[in-house]
Amino acid sequence: MLFTIAWRNIWRNRRRSQIVMISIIVGVVAVMFNDGLSVGMIHQMLDNQIGSHVSHIQIHAKGFNDNRVVQNYIHQPEIIDRALENTRGVKTWSTRVITFGLLSSAMNSSGGLIVGVDHSREENVTSIKSSLISGRYLSGKPHEVVVGKRLADRLKVGLGDKVVGMASALNGDVGSDLFRVVGIYETVSSEFDKAYMFTSLSSAQNMLELGDNVLEYAVIVDDISQVEAITRELRRTLGGEYEVLSYIDLLPLLVAQVEMYAEMMYVIYLIIGLAMVFGIINTMLMSVFERIREFGVLMAIGMKNSYVFRMVMVEAMMLAVLGTGIGLGLGSLLLVVLNSVGINLSMFTEGLTSFGVGAIIYPRLTIDAVMSVVIIIPMTALLGSIYPALKATRLQPVNAIRYV
Amino acid sequence: MEVIRLNAVHKTYSDNGVPVHALRGINLSITQGEFVVIAGPSGSGKTTLLNIMGALDKPTEGSVFLEQEDVSLLSRDAIAGIRLEKLGFVFQAYNLIPVLTAMENIEFTMMLLGQDEKSRRERALEVMRELDIEELAGKRPNEMSGGQQQRVAVARAIVNNPSIILADEPTANLDSETGGNLLDLMERMNREHNLTFIFSSHDQNVIDRARRLIILRDGLIEKDEILESQKA
Repeated sequence: MLFTIAWRNIWRNRRRSQIVMISIIVGVVAVMFNDGLSVGMIHQMLDNQIGSHVSHIQIHAKGFNDNRVVQNYIHQPEIIDRALENTRGVKTWSTRVITFGLLSSAMNSSGGLIVGVDHSREENVTSIKSSLISGRYLSGKPHEVVVGKRLADRLKVGLGDKVVGMASALNGDVGSDLFRVVGIYETVSSEFDKAYMFTSLSSAQNMLELGDNVLEYAVIVDDISQVEAITRELRRTLGGEYEVLSYIDLLPLLVAQVEMYAEMMYVIYLIIGLAMVFGIINTMLMSVFERIREFGVLMAIGMKNSYVFRMVMVEAMMLAVLGTGIGLGLGSLLLVVLNSVGINLSMFTEGLTSFGVGAIIYPRLTIDAVMSVVIIIPMTALLGSIYPALKATRLQPVNAIRYV
Repeated sequence: MEVIRLNAVHKTYSDNGVPVHALRGINLSITQGEFVVIAGPSGSGKTTLLNIMGALDKPTEGSVFLEQEDVSLLSRDAIAGIRLEKLGFVFQAYNLIPVLTAMENIEFTMMLLGQDEKSRRERALEVMRELDIEELAGKRPNEMSGGQQQRVAVARAIVNNPSIILADEPTANLDSETGGNLLDLMERMNREHNLTFIFSSHDQNVIDRARRLIILRDGLIEKDEILESQKA
């Protein structure tokens, strides 16, 4: 009967209850949208970094990540091949030669990263092939390069033009080679497009006099949530001769940003929660003050303080649960729609591509956001109804029953 | 059996710092099955006395015993428990819960006692049949007349089988015929169930029904008499 009374009491002042519910619904939708947008944006940055080059796990000779010189090459790649083949959860991998060098055209020159890739495997690891805006991907023939649009612009080269790459070779001399542009790509990260030039693995190995050796394994796993477990297993298998780094190790700033966004969401919850608390306090106080006489009667006929307290709390809880439910439904619907169509922020393209996000953001609906809303909003309502409920319990029945 | 005893009860209010002596040493004993009317002019202390007997208010001095238990020593929740189990209230303005139907209003105090829905419903129907208000079961207070509401209020007051019913000006908002019918009903409850009724009223129709009349004046009992004509 407590719930019956609470439910009917809510609808005694329909307009007031509707206003409170709308404010809860708007709060819930705002929180979900903000959370979805932030999570979508940050994960896009992460996915783009992983997809364009970093991959899920990288394996190098020990010390390569701190001192990225060709002398730190992998001596026994067959050990790594075997380990990867025997590790559950590993989907695919590619071998690479990567070095910093000078890239020159007839018109200009620029520093950049020369990446030699096993073209047939690399297209399963990174998204460069699908990011081509002109020309074609590497065929495996020597002297072919695919360059980023920004780099091509800087070097003032187009398809078929020549680019000279120079970098420190294994013997310490400067190795150089002439390449011809066969493709130009454009990813969502302008910084990436300015720096990376891809060629065939053999071309890079020849230029750097590496023989058949490689500098890097780029690994993709089946389930990204298992990446740390797989990294640990590979470390155990490969021992101390190799460094096995997950994207979490390779992109510490970005991962920290993901965590920071999660923390920031709690600040947003706090702000919206505070506004809601005062809204609930106001509404429930009004509701209590309008019913002083009624509470007096209830107390006079024997209702205990604890029951009076519960009655007010249940009313606030019902408003919150109803508002949260509707808000959750609307917020989820909004995020599902936006997740499929995306939010076009092309007016901010320059800034967004600098961050490696892309002009279209796809907000994500996460279980964390839903759980936070489901827990935090009703808790906030409960918090906001404590004071009005206490106020109701402090009424003196003898005075309250005569209150006009 | 003595159901209420007041020993030297004083009640003093403060009106903007000025003490107002509403009751000035009331000694009173009421036994089971009495039909008592407390009468007196406005400001004589009728309602204050009724509130103190109903454990709605505490005396400034003196003690109040309900069925031998000194309620002035009890906690707020314990007093609420006593009101729930031993007392029934009928108010001048009916004071039914507006969001509940007549049936639910009557069931409400049983719900506070923790009774299950089936037994609540059976008992509520039994009382409604006895008071001939079955047809009001599904109606909310705003769908009932004043007389109907007050009959539902009486049903709510007696449904837990309390030993005492306190009625503060129960006929004040009713026309004389409806008020008369209500008093007939209360007299019947008193006769048939040996329920103790204590009224506070200055309505002559109520005073005329008293079997014990207590007249208050300036916070003191001016007259306390058993009316011969009404004696059983």
